[in-house]
Amino acid sequence: MILKLAWRNLWRNKRRSFITIASILFAVLFVVFMRAFQLGSYEAMTRGVVNMYTGYAQIHLNGYWDDQTLDNVMPYRESFEDSLLKVDGVKSVIPRLEGFALSSFVDKTKGTLVIGANPEKEKEILKIEELLFDGEVISSADNQIMISEGLADYYKMSVKDTLVLLGQGYHGMSAAGKYAVKGIIKFRNPTLNQNTVIMSIPQAQWFFSTGNQVTSLILEKEEFTKVETLVADVSKKIDLNTFEVLDWKTMLPELVQSIEADNVGGVIMAFILYMIIFFGIFGTILMMTAERKYEFGILISIGMKRIKLGMVILYEIVFLGIIGVLSGYLLVYPLIIYFYINPVRFEGEFAKTFEDLGFEPIIPTSLDPAIPITHALIILIIALVLSIYPILKIQHLKPTEARRQ
Amino acid sequence: MILKIAWRNIWRNKLRSLVVMTAIFLGVWSGVFIDALSLGMNNQRTENFLSTSIGHIQIHNPKYLEDNKISFTISNSNELLDFGKNIDGFHISNRTKIGGMVSSANGASAGNVVGIIPENEKEVSSIYESMVYGNYFEEYKKNGIVIGRKLAEKLKVKVNSKIILTFQDPNNEIIASAFRIQGIYKTANSRFDEMNVFVQQQDLARIMNTEILIHESGIWLDNKENVDQVTENLKSNFSNLEVRSWKIIAPDLSYTDEIMMQMLYIIMLIILAALAFGIINTMLMAILERRRELGMLMAVGMNKTKLFSMVVIETIFLSLISGPLGLFVAYLCVEYFKVNGMDFSSVAAGLEDVGYSTIVYFDMDPEFYFGTLVMVVTTAILSSIYPAYKALQLNPVESIRGI
Repeated sequence: MILKLAWRNLWRNKRRSFITIASILFAVLFVVFMRAFQLGSYEAMTRGVVNMYTGYAQIHLNGYWDDQTLDNVMPYRESFEDSLLKVDGVKSVIPRLEGFALSSFVDKTKGTLVIGANPEKEKEILKIEELLFDGEVISSADNQIMISEGLADYYKMSVKDTLVLLGQGYHGMSAAGKYAVKGIIKFRNPTLNQNTVIMSIPQAQWFFSTGNQVTSLILEKEEFTKVETLVADVSKKIDLNTFEVLDWKTMLPELVQSIEADNVGGVIMAFILYMIIFFGIFGTILMMTAERKYEFGILISIGMKRIKLGMVILYEIVFLGIIGVLSGYLLVYPLIIYFYINPVRFEGEFAKTFEDLGFEPIIPTSLDPAIPITHALIILIIALVLSIYPILKIQHLKPTEARRQ
Repeated sequence: MILKIAWRNIWRNKLRSLVVMTAIFLGVWSGVFIDALSLGMNNQRTENFLSTSIGHIQIHNPKYLEDNKISFTISNSNELLDFGKNIDGFHISNRTKIGGMVSSANGASAGNVVGIIPENEKEVSSIYESMVYGNYFEEYKKNGIVIGRKLAEKLKVKVNSKIILTFQDPNNEIIASAFRIQGIYKTANSRFDEMNVFVQQQDLARIMNTEILIHESGIWLDNKENVDQVTENLKSNFSNLEVRSWKIIAPDLSYTDEIMMQMLYIIMLIILAALAFGIINTMLMAILERRRELGMLMAVGMNKTKLFSMVVIETIFLSLISGPLGLFVAYLCVEYFKVNGMDFSSVAAGLEDVGYSTIVYFDMDPEFYFGTLVMVVTTAILSSIYPAYKALQLNPVESIRGI
């Protein structure tokens, strides 16, 4: 009965309802749109950084991440890789053997990162083929190497020159070798571009005398799989006493921190918007109450209980809130999807700063369903809190005075 | 006349006017507040990076920048010192800077070995204030070294641990020498912390058996505004050297500095857009509520232009009362936090790691207050157009008859 009354009241004065719905709709539109962009830019940033080197998750021998030496290598078996590939959401498994060596050419020496990698499998991460600057890509059993463009520039060396590598291998064995440079890669990440040597995994295993072992297995995920789920599922499959599964948040704490720092600003901004929205909705509810004083007065005079009348108003506002939020969704979703497909693109100087850091200069939106749900709930709560005003007003209404207006 | 009616109308329904005014007041206040916070944060971040790792101006041998070989030194480094004596607020530190390898029992890392004279370096860089363990060359210890926390973690070393520096001397001989950690620093720039270790110039000269080699001059000016002028001055006096200001060395920092003002206006614009919808809705409601009154006015002969301007002027009045008030309160807050700072350490411990300080001192460009006021009044005018237009649509006869 009360529900029906509330529902009918909404349609009695359509214009008034529409105005209230509009203010809720714009609230949803504003906050959800802003947050979708902000969180979307974090996702893009994460994807950019993660897909440059570390990947979303990695498996190592337990303890490798804290003590990254060649002594903490793990055996690399196809059967292990196959069992990982069976886990839902794992797109591919990319093995790597990483070590450190002193490189030398003519009269110069420099400390370099030596990565044993499989060029075919690294298509999405190191992107060896895509970033080829000069020469050719090594094959998976090549005994030649590729070097980063920054290193080539430092040594003023070109393809077919020979680089001497000297370092320490597995269990203190000495690692030494002379390698012809087959290709030069221009990494987008400045640190990586400065001093990196890439060789095939078998070659790196021979150089560091590790046998058939690797330092890390990178897990590449399917696009819509959550990293947390992936890590949890993989953890169930493997022996956690022997291995560790780390996600990018553990491996790249600085990225997490800079996102958090930026997010503080976003949260404050959302709070400010809510404050303004609060007054916007309050304004309409206030007007609505004033306008209907006469009606309330009559209803109370003919015997409607104040509590019941309050409930009617409460339901009305809940209805308005739900309609407002839903129509807000209808409006904001196409926008979010549009900007997800056609992200905002920067131009000029700012774009260059992005590109220098290895990112595409775009801000897409986030499709995370948690964003609209959280903010819709907050806006509904605001509407509910505001309904206290008309309910209080009804409790203190003097029917005789109200009717006289 | 219209002005008077509009003014009176505002006070006829005090509650409604108060709601609109509160919304505008809060929007303006919070907008300026968050803008001053962001500006303060950003300025401090720039300041942090400059004072610890970049300085205001750096001078190198041009060849050293292309290929940081140990032999590309600044041969006339003493002339730089003399030059600086004639300029007020000019501090300079000449450094030896050699690329090499830093290693401990637990690992190795590529790094820059920076040879300094601590007293001079303290005038140019604030690293001595950023010590987390040990001290910054407080007493002379032979082969003492100060390294960054990030590197210390990587190499798993503590104060008093021994580490080995490996580098090439001017004769291309490889030199390895043991140093003992005297202090560990931490700046806002973790990449800098990982790459740079500091030793005393005299130790390096002794190990390599050479005179003191200078590869880099770091300059700090008491007044940052003078950077461009001093840079030009240095360039014309030392044409054989590469003189670069921080804006060239760290374009990303100077770029964020430049676009910051635009960002602040964009934030304000978003807030005002949200505010506009609040104003439109409330004014629209007000028009509907006052149907009878407006109809009456039209019936007694108020023309449409006057009616339209009355609604617009009412909204302008609302914004002119609350806007400046919001700005004034915001100004007081900004001035307070400019001096006392706002402590964020409990909510965002991670801030420090990315270059921001956890205690933020607000900052604001005075012209921004004026810009905001203009924007608020514009918003008020724009958002009153639709309600005013709706008022014109009213049919006087029907309006008077209705409740």
